[in-house]
Amino acid sequence: MLTRRTFLQSSAATALATRLFAAPEGSTKPNPELENLGAVALREAKKLKASYADVRIIRYRQQFLTVRLNPERGTGKTLEVPAVSDGGSFGFGVRVIVGGAWGFAASPLVTKEEIARMTAEAVAVARANAALMTKPVELAPVPAYRERWQTPHERDPFAVPLEEKLDLIRSAAAEVKKEKGVFAAGCNLSFRSEDKYFASSVGSSIQQLNLQTYGQVNATATDFKRALSKSRRYQPQQVTAGYEYVPLMNLVENAQRIREEVIEHLNAPPVTPGKKDLVLVPSHLWLTIHESIGHSTELDRALGYEANFAGTSFLTTEKMGSYRVGSDIMNIWGDRTTERGLATTGFDDDGVKASKFPIIEKGIFKHYQTTRDQAHLIGERESRGCCYADNWSSVPFQRMPNVWLEPGKSETNLDDLISSVDDGILIDGDGSFSIDQQRYNFQFGGDAFWEIKHGKKQGMVSRVAYQSRTIDFWQACDLIAGPSYWQQWGAPNDGKGEPEQINSVSHGCSPARFRQVNVIQTD
Amino acid sequence: MLTREQAKKLTDKALSFSTFPECEVSVNSSESAFIRFAVNDVTTSGFTVEQSMSITSIRDGKTGSTRVDEFDDDSLRDAVKRTERLALISPANPERVPPLEPQKYPEIENYAASTAGARNQAMIPHIHAIIDGARTNSLVAAGFFERSAETAAIANKQGNFGYGRTTDANLSATVRDSAGSSSGWASRPAVQIEAIDGGAVAKTAIDKCLRWKEPKRLDPGKYAVVLEPTATGDLVQLMGFSMQARAAEEGRSFLSKKGGGTLVGEKLFPEFITLRTDPFNPLYSALPWGGGGFGFRGGGGGGGGLPAERMSWIENGVVKNLFYDRYWAAKAGKPATAFPTRLVLDGGDKSLADLIASVDRGLLVTRFWYIRVVNQQTVQLTGLTRDGVFLIEQGKVTSPVVNFRFNQSPVEMLKNTIAAGRPIRVRGGEGQGMIAPPLLVKDFSFTSVSDAV
Repeated sequence: MLTRRTFLQSSAATALATRLFAAPEGSTKPNPELENLGAVALREAKKLKASYADVRIIRYRQQFLTVRLNPERGTGKTLEVPAVSDGGSFGFGVRVIVGGAWGFAASPLVTKEEIARMTAEAVAVARANAALMTKPVELAPVPAYRERWQTPHERDPFAVPLEEKLDLIRSAAAEVKKEKGVFAAGCNLSFRSEDKYFASSVGSSIQQLNLQTYGQVNATATDFKRALSKSRRYQPQQVTAGYEYVPLMNLVENAQRIREEVIEHLNAPPVTPGKKDLVLVPSHLWLTIHESIGHSTELDRALGYEANFAGTSFLTTEKMGSYRVGSDIMNIWGDRTTERGLATTGFDDDGVKASKFPIIEKGIFKHYQTTRDQAHLIGERESRGCCYADNWSSVPFQRMPNVWLEPGKSETNLDDLISSVDDGILIDGDGSFSIDQQRYNFQFGGDAFWEIKHGKKQGMVSRVAYQSRTIDFWQACDLIAGPSYWQQWGAPNDGKGEPEQINSVSHGCSPARFRQVNVIQTD
Repeated sequence: MLTREQAKKLTDKALSFSTFPECEVSVNSSESAFIRFAVNDVTTSGFTVEQSMSITSIRDGKTGSTRVDEFDDDSLRDAVKRTERLALISPANPERVPPLEPQKYPEIENYAASTAGARNQAMIPHIHAIIDGARTNSLVAAGFFERSAETAAIANKQGNFGYGRTTDANLSATVRDSAGSSSGWASRPAVQIEAIDGGAVAKTAIDKCLRWKEPKRLDPGKYAVVLEPTATGDLVQLMGFSMQARAAEEGRSFLSKKGGGTLVGEKLFPEFITLRTDPFNPLYSALPWGGGGFGFRGGGGGGGGLPAERMSWIENGVVKNLFYDRYWAAKAGKPATAFPTRLVLDGGDKSLADLIASVDRGLLVTRFWYIRVVNQQTVQLTGLTRDGVFLIEQGKVTSPVVNFRFNQSPVEMLKNTIAAGRPIRVRGGEGQGMIAPPLLVKDFSFTSVSDAV
């Protein structure tokens, strides 16, 4: 009989991700079998007169473990409800330019015959589109690379015994439920790998392994008399890293903290609405950076390519280089090289090497996020490396790199931010979020809120959201804590495009202060 | 795409590798073709074939799941083995329900060969109509035309098997002036692609754009609103998630009663408000199952896979039914129900123009955007108006208005509804949409102004 332990040993050997993409330890070149498959698409595309072609062959793997503790209906006895899944996906997508127009086709059958068939399909799609096209696609130049890249990691998360992961999430959830007033508790871990091969008619052949690691602890408290329910979450930083990051999440220790805080949240008085100073810590501010600055500086939005779905941008192209978005202390970078950032990688899906570039300098808007087919539209000669597709079956397009806020002076600490606030709120964690289609007007909630009175952090308040306009908000930013406070949070599910695609992205920052923002009281 | 026979063979094959007493599989295969256009040009376009199988193995309540998209014997054998190994390691799930015995599924064959076969050549003339219409008016068009065909099957070791196939298509377009100071939008979802008319979509979007010039800035506050059907659907579709019996009984829902219990049987809404699920409505594409669980198969809890059925959630203003998954139903001694999807909000005979004519002072809203839940319990939502807000005075549309942000629960909104018009199938910018009427609502809460166009 297979015991837990024997499976743990054998699971790594039968792992989904190893079959095709295995390469000798330390190899710096892509797998030769993949290079042969990729060459089929490039050959077929050339034969069919494509002026450009690329192919991505990708194997994904996703493992998700969760446990929920909740009372049984009728008895009140605590039930432990687990769920474990481990799955994957494998396929390829071919992109071509024929007659100046893009064409794309994708299939899950990774054989030479199917790659040739779908390449012809992509060419047919491009030909049909060329009939409507008025401006041919123009690609910024890119060098050819033959490389292998992987997320720096010490411990492959898929090789770590499931039992070890289950033990951890069960003990963290149990820790939350130790507080009698907690109605339900949960904890989860998830891991995602993207083993991607890219080849293009430019001559590139690139294989990359991207690894993501996620965790969370949550708590719900309910008061039946008042028919009122509140929650509290511990959201560790989401990272590109291996399992070595999981112990750093301190799930159990933070479970002890949130079980107290959820009760405080349930009983916290509602906020008094009005203009207040906000002190926003990185677990919250990442999302405001994402929505107000990350999306508004995407070139496809500014040019109208997203007009039917995600929208356009208040940062129109004539504003590039001179328009003031924020105060002098606001410096923002686009960066696909940030350590542990969710958008960090070796090369983008155009085969452009990952880089770092200034988006906002001293409050002034400097550069857009771009891809190879966009750079010329604003007179630039090279792409900023922001091309990504969320699946082998998805068309690559402009997606956000890690977009992060530079920290303040090294001597500035969190107390400095709080001490001169007379009437304010400190917000931790993300809550509801909404912003208009040109990124002017936004509203953000949070996960937990503390009142600041006369320079001191007080007890928790509830039902808080703030509303502002992007430029008013960033111009009201008057102090940012130093580099030792800098942390990045992010999301694996940023949506854009039609058909909608998701993107993983991180936004680093230090705690920052914003003066006189409109705070509202929600339900 | 898989035929019934192919799907049966494939699920039989996967189940033959199972050594556990329980194994559930679901298989999907799809083909989709799409064209995206912007700045009066085609931008991206593609043709995509996808397939996947989800497998769950269960023994003594211990459950393991996986998803694969390679269907050769070795891949399926490995996948089933993997789920069994995961289950052995996993703790038992105390909320697991017994496997379904063979079910009798209804015939829902809302599949149009015309949609399934349509490729770029069939879609491009409609896009031409939109781009040409925009150019003629010196405007700029962007949009998306997609059609998809899908087959799905579910099966388990107890001999249950179901098969269904669907098609769907949607064309949407946004038309803006070249200065970016005005915007209009329209969309048309349909099971049968021939029901989609690019010329009609173009006309609505262009008309909206031309009329929404130099909008007036009004103060935020509570307004009477006439919601076009898309705007109604944008908000009401989010109520489906809040109809769960479990959340209501556990004090986490707007349907929770103070002190415990639920509000089932109480009249919360006006007499003419009826919200229901109808997978048989010919305007929708639907699979022949969908009850008893959160997915069509279920998994970690709840169950799933019960035959599709009609179900009223709110009937003549009274909270009629809550959603019971199979686990919660068994605990509560109630029958499991349909999941609140394929929603229909009934209306009346009035046209949009009739509703507008009955308003003394209010706002006409085309649609909403970036709608997010602020408070799960009260279903308070925030979001913004988009692509056309107009002032109504003395029964007439008098001037365009700058966009607003709202903070409003659709629950309160339905309580404040004065009249409903003729329902149509709608699909806005987010979510799958629903069948919804135009509504006249009092005291709709706008909390700030947005300069976005």
